[in-house]
Amino acid sequence: MQQEGPAMDRMKRYRLDRRDSCRVCPLDDLVLLYHPRSGQTHMVISPVPEMLERMVDGAPVTASDLHDRLARDYDLGPRDVALAQVAAQLEALEALGLVCAA
Amino acid sequence: MRHELTLRIGPATFRVGSAWRAPIDALARLYAAYPDQRGAIADFTVRLQPTSLARRWVRPSIFITGDHGLADAAPMSLAHGLLAAEMGMNLQMALGWRRHLLLHASSVEKDGRALVMTGESGSGKSTLAALLGERGWRLMGDEFALLDLDSGAILPFPRLVSLKNRAIDVVAGAVAADRMGPLLRATAKGDIRHMVPRADAVARMTEGAAPALLLFPRFGHQAEVRPVGQGEAFMRLTQASTNYVALGEPGFAALTRFVTGAPARAIDFPSGEAAFDMVDRLWDELA
Repeated sequence: MQQEGPAMDRMKRYRLDRRDSCRVCPLDDLVLLYHPRSGQTHMVISPVPEMLERMVDGAPVTASDLHDRLARDYDLGPRDVALAQVAAQLEALEALGLVCAA
Repeated sequence: MRHELTLRIGPATFRVGSAWRAPIDALARLYAAYPDQRGAIADFTVRLQPTSLARRWVRPSIFITGDHGLADAAPMSLAHGLLAAEMGMNLQMALGWRRHLLLHASSVEKDGRALVMTGESGSGKSTLAALLGERGWRLMGDEFALLDLDSGAILPFPRLVSLKNRAIDVVAGAVAADRMGPLLRATAKGDIRHMVPRADAVARMTEGAAPALLLFPRFGHQAEVRPVGQGEAFMRLTQASTNYVALGEPGFAALTRFVTGAPARAIDFPSGEAAFDMVDRLWDELA
C-alpha cells in the first residue's frame, strides 16, 4: 500500500462533530476533556484544547487551515514545524475519536 | 440463610447471611450501636456459605458471595468469619454502589469540613483516620469516602475500622477495650483487628461535609510535604475509585469539582505524632 506523505496529511480534512463535543475542565497543570459519546476522560495540554476550540463550528479543516486559525492568536514559530505538529495532533485526535475525517 | 443480620452503614443497607452463627454474633456485637434495621429492604445481600456441603462442619471454609461476587475469591477459615463479612460488604460497595462516586479513601471531619486521605494499602490512611477520630475529629470512614454527585459533599461510610499488623497495638492503646474486636491472626493480609468508631461517628453517619483538604499519606518515610497538582490528584482519585467510569459525566463533574475546590498534598511521615503535626499544620494553612 502506498504511504501517504506529509504533504498529503496536510491536505486531509477533519471536522469536529457536534456529538463529539467534550466537556472541558481546565486544571492548574492540564486540561481534562470528558467525551460523553465514549465515556472516556482525556488529559491534554496545549495545543489540543486550543485546536478543538477552533473547530467547534464543525467546518472541515485541513492542518493548514487550523494552523492559520491558531496563528491569529498565537505565535507558533516557523510554519513548517508548527504545521507538522498540528497535523500530528489531528491524527492523534482522530485516533481517539475526538475529531473525524471530513 | 440460617443466620442473618441487617445493618446500615452510612447510606447503604446490607443483609448479611451466614451458614454459621459465629460471624453474625461477632457482627451484632461490634455493630450494636448502629441503627436497628430489622425488616428493612437492603441495598445488598452478602452471603457467607460453605465452599462445599462438608465444609460447613469439617474444617469450615467460607466462600464470600452475594449480589456481587468474585468467582475466584479465596475461601477463608471460619475463624476469620468477621473479616469475611466485612470483606463481603466492601465487595458489594466496590462493585455495586452507584449513588455516589466511591473513593478508596479515609475521611475525617472538623467544623463541617472534611479531610480526605487516599493511598494504597499500607499507606497509613486508615490508622491515621482512626487516631484522628480519637483526637477531636469525627471519623467519617477508614476505607470508602462517598462523594455526592449533586452537592459535592463527602458522605460518611463509618464501618468498623480495619487495623492491620503494627497499627493494631497503636490504636488499641488509644481506645477502650470494648471498642475492639477479636484479634484475627494470620489472615491473607496479616493480623487484623477491628475497631468500633466512636458513638458520634455512628450517630452522625448520614451527615456529610464539604471536602477541604486532600492528602496522600505515606507511612514509614522521613517527614516531607509535597504539593500535588490538580491533574495528578484527579488521576490518582480516578485510580482510587471503583465506579468513576460507570458514573459517566456526573462522576466527571463531581471529581473535577473536588480537585479544583480542595488543595492537595502528599505527606510522608515516620510516626503517628509526626503525622498529627503535619495534618494540624496543613489544616490550619490550607483548609
